[in-house]
Amino acid sequence: MHALIIDDSKTMRSILRRIVTELGFETTEAGNGQEALDVLEAGLVPDICLIDWNMPLMDGYTFVTRVRADDRWRNVTLMMVTTESEHGQIVRALAAGAHEYVIKPFTPDAIIEKMELLGLVAQEVPA
Amino acid sequence: MTVTLEPSLGDVHAVVEEVWSSFLGAEEPILPLATPMPPGGWSAAITVSGGWDAQITVNLTDGAAQAVTSTMLMCPVEDCADEDLRDALGELVNMVGGNVKSLMAGSAVLSLPLVGHGDISPGSHLVEVCRLELTWRGEPVVVTVHQPPTADPS
Repeated sequence: MHALIIDDSKTMRSILRRIVTELGFETTEAGNGQEALDVLEAGLVPDICLIDWNMPLMDGYTFVTRVRADDRWRNVTLMMVTTESEHGQIVRALAAGAHEYVIKPFTPDAIIEKMELLGLVAQEVPA
Repeated sequence: MTVTLEPSLGDVHAVVEEVWSSFLGAEEPILPLATPMPPGGWSAAITVSGGWDAQITVNLTDGAAQAVTSTMLMCPVEDCADEDLRDALGELVNMVGGNVKSLMAGSAVLSLPLVGHGDISPGSHLVEVCRLELTWRGEPVVVTVHQPPTADPS
């Protein structure tokens, strides 16, 4: 399984990388939407993209619309991970094709729970 | 109908506590305790524009800034370069600012964060409407919100 982490903050990429690596994912990182598109164009087809909204050059929303407009990446799961918490923006991102939406700050469990819901991680069965 | 013109101290405090507990460890909470802020240190600011215009700023001592960066990046303090401090503090103020913005009515846009050594002056058209003086790991942390003056409803 492979996760593409897209955030202009190295710190946030590092935090997300630690969480998904613990879940067994390999990771690739990009500092903005354009860099991430370049990674996809170069041939990487990740299982999931974790996408910040507010980034220079290309924001996360534009990245989502570009990915969803291209059939090569129809199976890639898109999860917004952002401080953008206005209801209208959340609806806009989901309508554009994002599958899930996590608002910063988050706990590792919040990310894991969403990935379980998306079927990317086996759900823990209570003992 | 109640129209909120500026964020309440309690709401901003709750946002800061949530950011700190999520990323800097709930076992070392940020405390509502004023500690004198020495000169120098670091500032991180972000502006909000649209339905609500404001600047949200976090001021920290060098020690607190290094501890924030070291904790978020999970690396020793001595390995944290200034570039790492700028990045970590930028993300910190991004989260604080984004969540304070969500408290306010109307649609608004966040800027990219601005981080630097020393103070970051708010625009001359802005006045301080909220100031939190806090302590984390014995070091002062100050969070302020500046916005244009609102008309006195009375």
